[in-house]
Amino acid sequence: MLWEPVLWGQLLIHGVMLGGLYGLLALGLNLVFGVMRVINFAHGELVMLGAFLTFWGYTALGLHPLVALPFSAAVLFGVGWALQRFLMERVLGGQPMAALLVTFGLSLIIINVGLLVFGADIRSIPLVSGSLRVAGFVIPKARGLAFLTAMALTVATVAFLRWTALGRAIRATAQHPEVAITCGVDVRRTRLVTFGLGAALGAAAGSLIMLILPMDPQSGSLLILKAFAVIIVGGLGSVAGGLLGALVLGIAEVFGSFFIATVFGEVMAYVLMLLVLLVRPAGLLGIAER
Amino acid sequence: MPRALLVGLVLAGVGAVPLVANNYVLSVLISLAMFTGLAYAWNIISGYTGYLSFGQVTFFGVGAYTAAILIIKLHVAWPLAALAGGVLAAFLSMPLGWIMLRLRGPYFAIGMLGLSRIAERIAFAWEPVTDGGRGLYLPPVLDLRAVYWAVVLVGAALVGITSLLDNSRFGLRLLAIREDEGGADNLGINTTLAKLQAFVLSAFFPGVLGGIYAWHVSYIDPVMAFATQVDLTAIVAVLLGGAGTVWGPLIGGVTLSLLAEFLWARFPFIHTALFGALVIATVLFLPKGLADAFRRRGWLAPGRAFLRRLAARQAPQEAAPE
Repeated sequence: MLWEPVLWGQLLIHGVMLGGLYGLLALGLNLVFGVMRVINFAHGELVMLGAFLTFWGYTALGLHPLVALPFSAAVLFGVGWALQRFLMERVLGGQPMAALLVTFGLSLIIINVGLLVFGADIRSIPLVSGSLRVAGFVIPKARGLAFLTAMALTVATVAFLRWTALGRAIRATAQHPEVAITCGVDVRRTRLVTFGLGAALGAAAGSLIMLILPMDPQSGSLLILKAFAVIIVGGLGSVAGGLLGALVLGIAEVFGSFFIATVFGEVMAYVLMLLVLLVRPAGLLGIAER
Repeated sequence: MPRALLVGLVLAGVGAVPLVANNYVLSVLISLAMFTGLAYAWNIISGYTGYLSFGQVTFFGVGAYTAAILIIKLHVAWPLAALAGGVLAAFLSMPLGWIMLRLRGPYFAIGMLGLSRIAERIAFAWEPVTDGGRGLYLPPVLDLRAVYWAVVLVGAALVGITSLLDNSRFGLRLLAIREDEGGADNLGINTTLAKLQAFVLSAFFPGVLGGIYAWHVSYIDPVMAFATQVDLTAIVAVLLGGAGTVWGPLIGGVTLSLLAEFLWARFPFIHTALFGALVIATVLFLPKGLADAFRRRGWLAPGRAFLRRLAARQAPQEAAPE
């Protein structure tokens, strides 16, 4: 029981797959924090909106979730852009906690509107079923597909940040907004793009989650807690840290729920978060605040 | 003189209410006093020291469960049980505060949120004690007036403590931490100790209120006891009224409770969204809260009488050498 290579390997695979999804879930949150220094409390609700747009595409238009994904991401990009343009721009630079609270209020509004529009029912798209056997390990197809897509999107985002002009502008603004301005970066536009991108990445994560987990309009707030734990373990604003945190958390959750108790799997994320903070108050790869 | 008259009128009003009010009005007033009390408690840690906490509800839940278990299993009288809830919450807050208060800004806010989720999961999982998701049933409370007195008493205690705090060196230490923690540290303030004291103080009262709440509603389950909504309401009340002030939580708590009651009754399906919109509107249009708006109109005396006394004392000394 304690040491069975096949079992441990299997758990590890599950943990890594879960971690890949958490990584995408937290990536948008982390980008927004990096540039705006704001924890977007409504990120989970943007994820939920993406998931339900995908669900709607599937039931009304018969679209495969992976086909619907770019559409829901595009819509949420627009939503994120508009939120930044008309709401967040007004509170940035004011009291440090003002922006945090605005996103908190926003999440309440979106949850309530979601309940009105989509109803309180739990939805899922059980389109991809069955599993693959690879070298003695079982990999459910839906999870594998979600993991691969999440990884592809993560790699694409990192490449975008690294090699495009806009990506460089985002990184420059995250590192030092004042210097970025003097270097000719349109910081305001960069913020609009960043929030749009964050929302789009959240929507993509939502589409993928719809493949493997049932969702209701209130699920976003539970998912966001995991995303918070991920970026706090990794360190706020550090993309590499976020991915590391996601991996650690995914594995810890799978092992925790298997070896200790199912209910403990969920708590694992937060226990781990507190343990990491105890040792490193700024997360594994983060920079200290203030 | 008019001030003493005003205080007397308020006390008489608060005292007379249970004699004339029906149960509906009483229950509205109970939730009003409860949320105002939670707002005051939150204000001590988050308003004064600036450590925005999204997890004060942890202590509310701990108090609720402690009191419920004491009442059910040991038949302890409810006031003692509620007090025990507060004491346990305060004890628990010491090691937790020691860990959490090393965090800054968003790390602290989210760390505390995570803490409340852990507490909720523990309440679910620890079935032998908490009965898990089934929840705990308490003997029903027949006389709402006792609940009313209890919450009003706790609320009044919090107003008194905050008023003392606002005029004390301890309160100034907390404000110094909010404005510039590093600077406060350099000036020889033991910031760790001051933060921890504020944290414990702001954990004790939610614990007591949680205990009273459990007794009042005679049923608790993990979701109710550790609901983020409880935190949120307290936070919005403080912001609406004015953070780090004596009267802010009262003004905000009363306004918000009445507004929430109104929204809930009028718009049952979208009251959460309206609540969210209210949060945003408060931040956008009343960044310093209603207390500040009142003060600017001269309806409310400026706070921190300590500083004003200090200023008054120094003025003649400066004039003397000439």
